[in-house]
Amino acid sequence: MIFEKVRKTFGSTVAVHDLDLTIDEGEFVSLLGPSGCGKTTTLRMLAGLEEPSGGSIRIGDRVVNSVPPAQRDIAMVFQSYALYPHMTVAKNIAYPLKKRGVREPERSERVRATARLLELETLLDRKPAQLSGGQQQRVALGRALVREPQVFLLDEPLSNLDARLRAHMRAELIELHRRIGRTMIYVTHDQLEAMTMSTRIAVMNAGVLQQFATPADIFHRPANVFVAGFIGSPVMSLLEGELTRSDEGDGTGPFRVRCGALEVALPAGLLDRSAAPGPISLGVRPEDVLLGSGAHTATVGVVERTGHESIVRLDARGTPLKARAPGDTPTATGETVRFSLRVERLHVFDAATGNRLNADAEDR
Amino acid sequence: MNASRARTIWSIVAWTIVLAVVFPLIWMIVTSVKPQAELFSIPPTLMPETITFEHYRRLLTETPFPRFFRNSMILAVTTTVVVVALGTLGAYSLVRFKYRGRETLATLVLFTYLMPSVVLVIPLYLMMAKLGLANTLASLVIAYTTFALPYALWLLRSFMTSIPVDLESAALVDGASRIGAFVDVILPQAFPGIVSTALFTFILCWNEYLFALVLVNSDSVRPLTAGTMNMLITSFNIDWSLLMAASVMMSLPLIVIFTFLQGTLTKGFGAGAVKG
Amino acid sequence: MHAAPPSSLEKHYARIGVVLIAPTVLVFCAVILYPLVSAIYLSLFSIYTPTLAGEWVGVDNYTALLASGDFWSAVRNTLIWTVGTLILQLVFGVAMALLLNQSMVFRSLARSLVLFPYFLSTVVAVLVWRWLFNDLYGILNHVLLIAGLIDAPVNWLGQMPNAMISIILVGAWKYFPFVVIVVLARLQSIPEQLYEAATIDGAGPFQRFTDITLPQLRDVLVVVVLLRAIWDFKEFDLIYLMTGGGPVGATRVLSLLVYEEAFRVNRMGMASTYAVAMMLVLLGFTLVYLRQTNRLEEG
Repeated sequence: MIFEKVRKTFGSTVAVHDLDLTIDEGEFVSLLGPSGCGKTTTLRMLAGLEEPSGGSIRIGDRVVNSVPPAQRDIAMVFQSYALYPHMTVAKNIAYPLKKRGVREPERSERVRATARLLELETLLDRKPAQLSGGQQQRVALGRALVREPQVFLLDEPLSNLDARLRAHMRAELIELHRRIGRTMIYVTHDQLEAMTMSTRIAVMNAGVLQQFATPADIFHRPANVFVAGFIGSPVMSLLEGELTRSDEGDGTGPFRVRCGALEVALPAGLLDRSAAPGPISLGVRPEDVLLGSGAHTATVGVVERTGHESIVRLDARGTPLKARAPGDTPTATGETVRFSLRVERLHVFDAATGNRLNADAEDR
Repeated sequence: MNASRARTIWSIVAWTIVLAVVFPLIWMIVTSVKPQAELFSIPPTLMPETITFEHYRRLLTETPFPRFFRNSMILAVTTTVVVVALGTLGAYSLVRFKYRGRETLATLVLFTYLMPSVVLVIPLYLMMAKLGLANTLASLVIAYTTFALPYALWLLRSFMTSIPVDLESAALVDGASRIGAFVDVILPQAFPGIVSTALFTFILCWNEYLFALVLVNSDSVRPLTAGTMNMLITSFNIDWSLLMAASVMMSLPLIVIFTFLQGTLTKGFGAGAVKG
Repeated sequence: MHAAPPSSLEKHYARIGVVLIAPTVLVFCAVILYPLVSAIYLSLFSIYTPTLAGEWVGVDNYTALLASGDFWSAVRNTLIWTVGTLILQLVFGVAMALLLNQSMVFRSLARSLVLFPYFLSTVVAVLVWRWLFNDLYGILNHVLLIAGLIDAPVNWLGQMPNAMISIILVGAWKYFPFVVIVVLARLQSIPEQLYEAATIDGAGPFQRFTDITLPQLRDVLVVVVLLRAIWDFKEFDLIYLMTGGGPVGATRVLSLLVYEEAFRVNRMGMASTYAVAMMLVLLGFTLVYLRQTNRLEEG
């Protein structure tokens, strides 16, 4: 599927800006971003429920801008499930087949097969109102699966489930994708879902695509400040600072970073050749802050212990940082500790554009 | 003051008023089963000393009343069918489609409330005369449709807006056309609302007076309202027993609808009225 | 490079939408456009109703209207009627809604019964009330005599000011349930927690009413007042059947004036002129209603 310069405006609001995206067959792509970033609008345009204000959308080699949803060979699972309240589960699942002219007895057989796949056989005669949230969600999935379409669209299908069920369904969906191998496009604001389930993630903010890459790339090489601050739990610390250039001749690279009282020498080759001195944002992941020994000192603030690890908040003479430490760390609030940074894992972003200045930045 | 004492006080106060409000209707029923002689006794008796159905018998056998009843029934049912059909489609169009002039149309619906029926009646009278439809049930069906449709649209719109849009979207993605989605999703979901609207329209048509008065001038075509009032005017002596019996019979459909479907009727009204 | 889409999906849907509403639009043209144009057109003629023969008189009808005593007294009567019955409808309607919102026995039955007058045919209502008002045999006079409130039977419909009072009362009886339905629906949507919080804060029942209930009702009441004002102003059936406009035109409201002029005096042109005047007043009301509902939607 190809999005070419796709734009969508509602009145005077631009929901989606010049989106260029190419999705390969069999991929599991997540559209990830905060509320209002345009991800649901993009999904709906793909489904045919909204028409692009500009640009073109292709499925296969067909331009589908004006093709009604019924003719796009697409199935969709809605956030609200949208099960037909007046129909039984069996009729709900059978509906798409009925609309496409599949007759009995084939229709019932396919319904039963899908029900078996999702463990819904005992519920076939119930109405949606009599089902639990998890069961309703499976019926919605069943209704999408029974048609065996080219593409599956899922609009935050897990957001209405409780945490445990959500974790369970995540695994189920990954398994499903592996088994049927069709393209799946998944909209979510939960980065954990996106990271664990996708082959590639498209991060969006305010209608603009920020980065489209594999989960590993997005984690290790975020293309800009927004992506860096969005992915990761706990979130990366982003510090304002200044990039300077000097030649010390002590084996370190020419660039140094200063954030408040914190000063770090960057290794040679970390930054791209085009980087120039000026205001920057420095990104440090908590796991790259090592407590115990090092060149820097800080006062310990709040320590959040989750059992298997601790998140330690540090105040390095006015510069806030977070560090990840093992669960049984003896560090306590008010102590002064020494820490070091894994400098080869620092992320540097231009303060004005937010773009990544590291040498490994890829084009999105 | 504790809860159950408060409840008793409210019950007494409220029910006293309700009975006062309903009293005229009770009196109507009581009068219709009193023999003529007792009717004119002074002081009037609250409960009938003897009960007779003589007046009903006379009403049904010696007056054109059955004919009036039949006319009203045909008229109300036909108009309801037409209005509900047009109204459902129209309401769906107003609620789910986007096209130029849609907002203006919605506002125009409000302007129909402007029209006093006396003003409508004159041009309609002329139109029916020209079309050669004067003094026919068809002319009344057309006339009633013109004023019942705005109310039906108003009610149906409020019912349809409460149906989640996702349901139709799901149907569209599943392979239905817009019309298919309408039939498979909207109609079943809006069904209680459609029933409410149909009942309301029926009552509206059943009770209408002015158009029946002006557009029809022969007993064979007259509906109940105009017919009954005509009986009052043409007879020399006002026969109250007969008229009360006629009133009770005229209110029968209302009583039937109310007994079985009070909930649906008022729910629609409440929802529609607040949105306006 | 992207190709221009052949025929837009949105346009296709728009076309279906238009088709669906076309018959309704036709009807509306019959209801609004045609009578409006007709009435204005006819008001410029002098037409003899039985034969429909007419001749052009231009604005003569309008000058006659402004000079006509009949017209202005009809306006006065209409205003008295509308304001009188509207106030009663409001007061009784709100009071009843408040009552029916309390806990009581057989509450849903009470709520249904109270609606009967509204859905009853005007003809039935009029017949029943005329029987009740009957000076010799009507139970109303009897009850009042026994209670000692009057010395002799009252002629309710044949004398002024009784006739106007009578129709105002019957109008209130017939139409107050509309106010009850709307206000009750609104009352039921006020969350109980607001009252609970106020009680905890120390507010007494009267304060709770003025501080919580009334503000919530304000929006709905504005709508109700305007709607009922428009509908009461238009009322024909009730007044025509109760008093026929009598005694001696004392209860002749504008709608009756139009009817009489068209079908008794047989001057359809003049009747149309009265009709146009009536519509202008109603237009004023409707514009106010529209502005109020728009403001409520935004606010």
